[in-house]
Amino acid sequence: MSTDAIINLNKVSVFQKHNLVLSNVSFTINKGELVYLVGETGSGKSSLLKMLYVDVPLAQGEATIAGYDIAKVKRKQIPLLRRKLGIVFQDFQLLYDRSVNENLYFVLKATGWKNKKEIQDRASEVLDKVGLVTKGHKMPHELSGGEQQRVAIARALLNKPEVILADEPTGNLDPKTSEGIIRLLKEISETGTAVLIATHDRIVTELFPSRTLTCVQGEIQDSLQ
Amino acid sequence: MHVVNPIEVRIALLYSIFYFRGMADVSVRRRFQSSNITIVISIALVLIMLGLLTVLILKAKTVSDHVKENIVITLFLDPALKDTEILALQKSIDVEPWRKATAFVTKEEAAKSLQQELGEDFIKTLGYNPLSSSIEISLRAEYANNDSIAWIERQLREDSRIEDVIYQKDMVGAVNERLGSISLVILVFSGALLFVAVGLIFNTIRLAIYSQRFLIRTMNLVGATQAFIRRPFVLKGIRNGIVGAFLAIGITVGIVLIIDKNFRELKLIQLADVETLGILCLFQILLGILITWISSALAVRKFALQSTDALYMN
Repeated sequence: MSTDAIINLNKVSVFQKHNLVLSNVSFTINKGELVYLVGETGSGKSSLLKMLYVDVPLAQGEATIAGYDIAKVKRKQIPLLRRKLGIVFQDFQLLYDRSVNENLYFVLKATGWKNKKEIQDRASEVLDKVGLVTKGHKMPHELSGGEQQRVAIARALLNKPEVILADEPTGNLDPKTSEGIIRLLKEISETGTAVLIATHDRIVTELFPSRTLTCVQGEIQDSLQ
Repeated sequence: MHVVNPIEVRIALLYSIFYFRGMADVSVRRRFQSSNITIVISIALVLIMLGLLTVLILKAKTVSDHVKENIVITLFLDPALKDTEILALQKSIDVEPWRKATAFVTKEEAAKSLQQELGEDFIKTLGYNPLSSSIEISLRAEYANNDSIAWIERQLREDSRIEDVIYQKDMVGAVNERLGSISLVILVFSGALLFVAVGLIFNTIRLAIYSQRFLIRTMNLVGATQAFIRRPFVLKGIRNGIVGAFLAIGITVGIVLIIDKNFRELKLIQLADVETLGILCLFQILLGILITWISSALAVRKFALQSTDALYMN
């Protein structure tokens, strides 16, 4: 395992409820890498990501992410682990009862930021990165799908994560908007953050070719090998 | 032909957007408010029930104490005793912890009351007064049971100035048995009510938090700690608990005042009871806070610890 490794999996089995969907999964993702995780619906992409952000327990094998050994991580450490990750969902999962800025402030406050000025500065900094600096005062439902996903990505960037896990980030978006989102994620990876995108959108992977992990018949094929 | 002014169209469009946005906000606000109102009302109802029940229990204790303190032990005294000696004996009984009140009945007074009962002058018939002087003792409620009375009786009989000690043993047993079973029924009933009530509030709060389970989920996934997620829900719960408690206090006091006005003989509000009512109000506030605090904390914990899949399965 190189010192740049952000995610390292060794002979991991992935379950959906009690069904084994992926076995013998081993791969390493390094700093600044953009990696696609592709496969049909139900092939275990989301389950693998959930295991990585400790939403479901690791059943078998060894897995480390951002310096945490997932098998040994304690419940109290989970929030700390998640602060090192940026998670982006297909359905955005923004807090719809508050403005874009409030969404970002909430995450910063929840993750231990205290200084009001620093909070505001950091929020506008990430909004600038995703090209939404003028939309901070809007409510999420006033934004288009693509803009909401950009807010979700801005939110994921707040704590300068070592890795971004994106679960079907373009699943609800039209091709043109999808392209913009993936380009944004690619730019983020170029700044040193590892990005793992689970997708079944072939257009996306063809537009921005990169290393691809494919879930086929319960196993993962790595385009690098 | 009417020419459509593009500025007018824009204004109309803007107006409709704002109008609908305003509507949406109002409906969201209403939904949250209505769930708060439901919680406040259920807490208030439960606390009113518990408050009235507490008043009933306190009142029942007063009634039972009253009945118990009407049990009288009569001491028949040595006829040779002088009044001063009797007074000394009465004084020595007065300092005992178990005595509520003592009354000295001279043999003349006893004869008078017996004459009234019988309706004839038995002293004239007999030529002398066969009755002896007596002291009537009423006991404090906590000593008015057969065990304590037997012990008190033994103690009294040791005194040579006292010829006989008489009390209605059967009645003491019966009074205690009845009052015991009545208290038990009230206690079991209150316990069951408290259980149901807490369950009801717990469920109402859980339902309100359940509707925000995905919000909790999002907080969880961005790395918020359990304590950070819990705080706003618990604070809101406690606020509802306090509002509910004050509502309950107002209504409980109102009901007590109305009953007191219409049934003066119950003596619901006495000078000593003002303190009791104060304690009752404090108890209602504390219970309101405690129940909402624990319920919100447990409900948030439940949803915060569930995986996303489990949340959808709910």
